Amino acid sequence: MRGPIRRWPLAAGLAATAALLVAACLRLPHFGGDRHPYGDRAVRTALLQRTANTVSSVNFDQRALDTLGEESILFAAVLGTVVLLRQTRDEHRVAPQPAPVPPPLRRYGTLALPVALLIGLYVIAHGQLSPGGGFQGGVVVATALHLLYVAVDYRALERIRPVGPYELADGVGEAAYVLLGAAGLLAGSAYLANTLPHGTFNTMASGGTVPLLNAAVGMEVASGVVVLLAHFLGQALEIVGEEGERT
Amino acid sequence: MGDALDDALLAAGLLLVAAAATAAALCRDPARQAVLLSLLGLGLALLFTVLQAPDVGLSQLAVGSAVTPLMLLLTVRKVRRRKRHE
Amino acid sequence: MNGWLAAACALVVGGLGPSLWGAARGTTGRRVVAQNMATLLLCLVLLLLAQGYGRPSYTDLALVVCVLGPAGTLVYIRLLGEEIEKHPPGARLLTPAVTIGAPATVVPLCVATGPGRAMAKLLVIGALLVAGGLVTTRALRRG
Repeated sequence: MRGPIRRWPLAAGLAATAALLVAACLRLPHFGGDRHPYGDRAVRTALLQRTANTVSSVNFDQRALDTLGEESILFAAVLGTVVLLRQTRDEHRVAPQPAPVPPPLRRYGTLALPVALLIGLYVIAHGQLSPGGGFQGGVVVATALHLLYVAVDYRALERIRPVGPYELADGVGEAAYVLLGAAGLLAGSAYLANTLPHGTFNTMASGGTVPLLNAAVGMEVASGVVVLLAHFLGQALEIVGEEGERT
Repeated sequence: MGDALDDALLAAGLLLVAAAATAAALCRDPARQAVLLSLLGLGLALLFTVLQAPDVGLSQLAVGSAVTPLMLLLTVRKVRRRKRHE
Repeated sequence: MNGWLAAACALVVGGLGPSLWGAARGTTGRRVVAQNMATLLLCLVLLLLAQGYGRPSYTDLALVVCVLGPAGTLVYIRLLGEEIEKHPPGARLLTPAVTIGAPATVVPLCVATGPGRAMAKLLVIGALLVAGGLVTTRALRRG
């Protein structure tokens, strides 16, 4: 498809999106008001389910199916990257030269890594209580591991990052979310229904399935991002084409 | 007075995001663009927090601070390496 | 009059704005210095906002920025090192911003919070901010 033929579907799509946006904007509640039809209902349900962070209640309880969709998008994206950035037959790996790193930076990297890891796990574990949750915490955990690359050395990162287990963990996290949803069916309710005891409001053990789903997402996101970055790093630092391009 | 301050913060956040996004769009060098994009991410995180959506702000911070620049710069390096060889 | 929010607003206008200006022009090294400054300032702004809105849980954002911000700067230093080395940037403002700005924000917040878990969290954020700021400044000077 070239020229005008390609432009017509684009123009039609843009026009339709613009029309939908305008129609939606005309019926939006006013900006900055303290009443909102959806907000009020979401907060009421979150309180009933003993989940202090209403956003988590919406994401992992009231609209948990949407989150399953989002999680699957990330899963598919990682899968796509793995396929696209794989090492092809005419490519080979060359171990990159170690980069000189000043000792204070190296010390900072080795000390900040466990702290960042802990912060990531904290964000995942407190999803039902305070801002954050599986996605945000998972990305922090993955970033923490890559402190080894930016502050220490690529080979140090490679030692703690065998890609295989992380790929496995990515799949396990995704599967855990799906299976936790099925637990709702087994309990005689709907798929992804919050069937666990809701616990005490504003404590770690509250929100029923919310913290469990958060943990599943955290595992999937953390290992997904690690796998994603592993392939980017491999392509940029290690894999060279047959013409023998050099780092 | 509290309301005026809220409005000022909101205006500052919106302006920051608009300015950072424009600067990022006008920048032609991908490596420098990555720096501007991380500034845009910080601006968005501020805006989301001012709008009382800290969960979204946290997502933006988590993704935009280190992972996105890392992916962008690794891609730039790969492309430049290949170009240098050709 | 909410002094915390006023301080946050002043930091955004007087700090993040100029940082964006610095990140939009000049050599790559200067831009990375501006990015580093911006993460530091945003962390302080988020702390002030959490106090100003009376939402202690918002400090989690600052907690994340104080480790991921320096990590981001280190990404730039690692992958743009050659470009930065060609024109080493002046980073004179960074050290005072870290060593004066961080305590000047965290100490009043600690006084306002009073002893407890929240204060411990503030101190951790302050310590991580200073450590990260000093290490990244040093790495930037070296290029």
